Amino acid sequence: MKTTRNSVVALLSVAALALTGCGRDSGGGAGAEGQGDAIDDGLAEGTIEVWAMGTEGEALEAFSKAFTEANPDAKVEVTAVPWDGAHDKIANAIAAGETPDVSLIGTTWMGEFAEAGGIDPTPEGLVDEADFFPGAWESTEVGGTSYGVPWYVETRALYYRTDLAEQAGWSQPPATWDELRQFATDLQQKAGVANGIQLQAGLTGAWQTMMPFAWSAGAELTDADGAEYTLDSPEMVKGLEYYTSFFADGLSSTDKLDPGELESGMADGSIGSFISGPWHADLVEEAGVSPDQYAIAPLPGTDSAPGNSFVGGGDLAVFSDADNKDGAWKFVQWLSEPETQQGFYDEVGDLPAVQAAWDSGDLADDPQLQVFGQQLEKASSPPAVPTWEEVASAIDSDIEKATKGQMSPEEAVQSMQQQAQSIGTGL
Amino acid sequence: MATATAVAKGGTPSRPVDPTRRAQAVAGWVLALPFVVLFLAFTAGPVLASLGMSFTDFRRADIRSPLAVQFVGLSNYADLIQDPLFRKVTLNTLLYLLLGVPLTMAAALAAAVGINRLNRFKGLFRVAFYLPVVTSIVAVSVVWKFLYRHHGGLFNTALGWVGIDGPNWLDNTHLALPSLVLMAVWRNFGALMVIFLAGLATIPREISEAAEVDGAGGWSRFRYVTLPMLRPTLLFGAVITGIGYLQFFEEAFVMTQGGPLDATRSVTYFTYDQFGFGNFGYAAAASYLLFLAVVLLTYVQFRWLGERDDRPRRRTRQEVTS
Repeated sequence: MKTTRNSVVALLSVAALALTGCGRDSGGGAGAEGQGDAIDDGLAEGTIEVWAMGTEGEALEAFSKAFTEANPDAKVEVTAVPWDGAHDKIANAIAAGETPDVSLIGTTWMGEFAEAGGIDPTPEGLVDEADFFPGAWESTEVGGTSYGVPWYVETRALYYRTDLAEQAGWSQPPATWDELRQFATDLQQKAGVANGIQLQAGLTGAWQTMMPFAWSAGAELTDADGAEYTLDSPEMVKGLEYYTSFFADGLSSTDKLDPGELESGMADGSIGSFISGPWHADLVEEAGVSPDQYAIAPLPGTDSAPGNSFVGGGDLAVFSDADNKDGAWKFVQWLSEPETQQGFYDEVGDLPAVQAAWDSGDLADDPQLQVFGQQLEKASSPPAVPTWEEVASAIDSDIEKATKGQMSPEEAVQSMQQQAQSIGTGL
Repeated sequence: MATATAVAKGGTPSRPVDPTRRAQAVAGWVLALPFVVLFLAFTAGPVLASLGMSFTDFRRADIRSPLAVQFVGLSNYADLIQDPLFRKVTLNTLLYLLLGVPLTMAAALAAAVGINRLNRFKGLFRVAFYLPVVTSIVAVSVVWKFLYRHHGGLFNTALGWVGIDGPNWLDNTHLALPSLVLMAVWRNFGALMVIFLAGLATIPREISEAAEVDGAGGWSRFRYVTLPMLRPTLLFGAVITGIGYLQFFEEAFVMTQGGPLDATRSVTYFTYDQFGFGNFGYAAAASYLLFLAVVLLTYVQFRWLGERDDRPRRRTRQEVTS
C-alpha cells in the first residue's frame, strides 16, 4: 500500500515537473500573423472535404454541382454535422489534426479556433472586404487578421401585431426609443395587451437583445484594437437603463418563456411585440398569426430608425491541417460570389452575407426581407475572441440582475467590466 | 477480481514451494492483462489526467499542444473558493442536499412502512411508487415544468379552485430550488422505498411481537424496534441519495437553465458551464472539489448513522456492500 502511494506521488511530481518544464510560449497566437499568400487563378483540383451544419449541410453537396462543373478536376464531399455537436466535433478534429478542408463555423467560435491555430488566415485578395456587410466581416477578424469569409447572416428586428398597433393608434412602427416606449405603453393601455413588448430578462443570449440598444447608444464591447473590454461606459449604462425601464414599468415581463410561449402569446394578443431574427416569421405564422396581422420593422434608434442590431450567422474557414487548401479557398471564393449567394438563398433561405446578392430577385422584392437587409447595414457583432461565450454569460447574468432590480444599471455594467477583465480576451 | 482470486487459490494448496508457481503467476498476469490495460487506459488514466489538469491553466485553445500549459499549483482551487458564483452554487447544492435527502428518506420510509402493513395490492403500490424512478429524468422535468407553469399549470389551476393566486414557481428566486427538490423527492423516493421494504423484511416479527407484549404502542415499536433495526439500510439510503443529490444537474438544466438569478445553478452545472467555456483546468478543479464533498459527506454519514462499537460496525459494512 505504502509503495503504491509513493509511486503515485512520484508519478504526480514527474508529471508536474514535465508540465512546468514545458510552459506556454508567450508570443504567437492569433492575429500575430498577417493574411495568407494569395492563391492562383487556376481551376480547383482534387477532393474538397467540407463540413456544414443543419440545412446548409444537407443542401450544399447538391448545390455545389455548378462548382464541380466549372472545375471538372475537383470533387466536393460534404458531411452534414448536426449543430448540437458541431462545436466539439470541430474542436476535437483540430486537436487531433484530422480536419476536413473547409467548414462552416459559427461566428462566435472564430476567435477560439483561430487562437488554437486550427484555421488559416484568409489569403490576400481572395475576396473584397467591402462586398460584405461590415458586421459580418468583423466576425472573421481575430486580433486584426481575418480567418475566413462570411457565408450567411442573420440579424434582429422588431416584430409587432399591426392590428393591435392600429387599435392603439399606431399606423407606423416606432422609429425612436421614446416612440418604442410609448408604443409598448399604448399597446397595453389602448389595445389591452398584457405585455406591450417581450424582451429577454436574462439567461443565455439575453445580451443579443440588450446589446443592440447599447450599440445604438454608442457603446462598444472592446476598444479599437480589441485588446481591452470597454463595458463600463456611460453609453452602455444608457443602453441598459433604457432596456431595464421596460421591465421596471411593467411593459415586459421578467419571466422565462418556454419554447412556443412567445409565438402563442403573439397569436392570442397577450404579447404585442418582440425582437428576433428572420426565422421567427415562420414560427409566428405557424402559431396562427396571419401574415397581414403582423409586420417587421427595423429596431428603433435613439433618435431615428434604424438603430443598431446584432448580426450573427456562419463563416467559412479553411483548416491549417487541410490537405487541399488551394481547392478549399477556391470553393469558398465561389460560395461568396453574389450569384452563388443568391442561388443558395433560393435553395435554403439563408440571408446572403454579400450585399450585392440583395440587389435583385426575391431578396430585393420581399418587404420583410428588405427590413432585415436594411437592418444588416447597421448591425454589430461581438468581438471574435476565444473567451467570448464566457464573457457573454457574465453579461447575461448581470443583465438579469439589472432587469430584476437587484442591481442598478451602473452597478451592472461595472460588474460586467470587472468580470470581463478577469476573464480576459484569451488572445 | 475473479482472476486474482483464482491465482491466489492456485498458489495456496501446497505449503512447499510449488515449481509451477511462477508459471501460474505469469499466466495470471497474462489473463488479467486485458482488464488491467483497459482499466489503466480508460479509468485510471483519465482520472489522473484530469487531476493533473486541475493544477494547470489548461484552456480550450491549448488542445493542439496539451503539454504547453502552465503548472499553477492550487491557484484554480483558490480562485474557485473566492469565485462568488461558485460560492452561490455550492450553497444551492447544499440546500438541495439538506432539503432533499431528509424529505426523500422520510417519504420513502413512510411509504415502505405503509406498504409493509398492507395485505393486498402490495405489488401494485410498489410498482406505482417505483415507476418515476425508471422514467427518464429529462422527460419528467419537461412534464413538471408544465405542472409548475404560472398560467395554466396544474398546481396553480388547483390553487385557483380554492381562490389562491399561485406564484410563478420556477421564476421565483425563493421557490425555484424547493420546487426542484419537490420533484426530485417524488422521482427518487421509490428507489429508496424498495430498499427500505427489503430492510423491513429482515426484521424478525418476534422482536416486534415481544415489544407489543411488553406494552409498546405502535409509535414506540417503530421508534425503538423498527428504526434501530433499519439503521444499516437507512445509512445506505442516505449515502446513495446524498451522492445523487450533490450532483444534481438535469432538473435545473431542463427546467430553469440555472435561473432565476442563478438560484438553481448547482456545482455540477457550474462545472458543465466552465467546460463549455473551455476552462478545462478550472472545471477539473471544480469537479474535484465536488468529489471531495462527496467523500466528506459519505464519511460524515458513516460516522453519524453507523454504529459506534467495532464489531457490529463491521457487520454493517458487509451488509452495505453485499
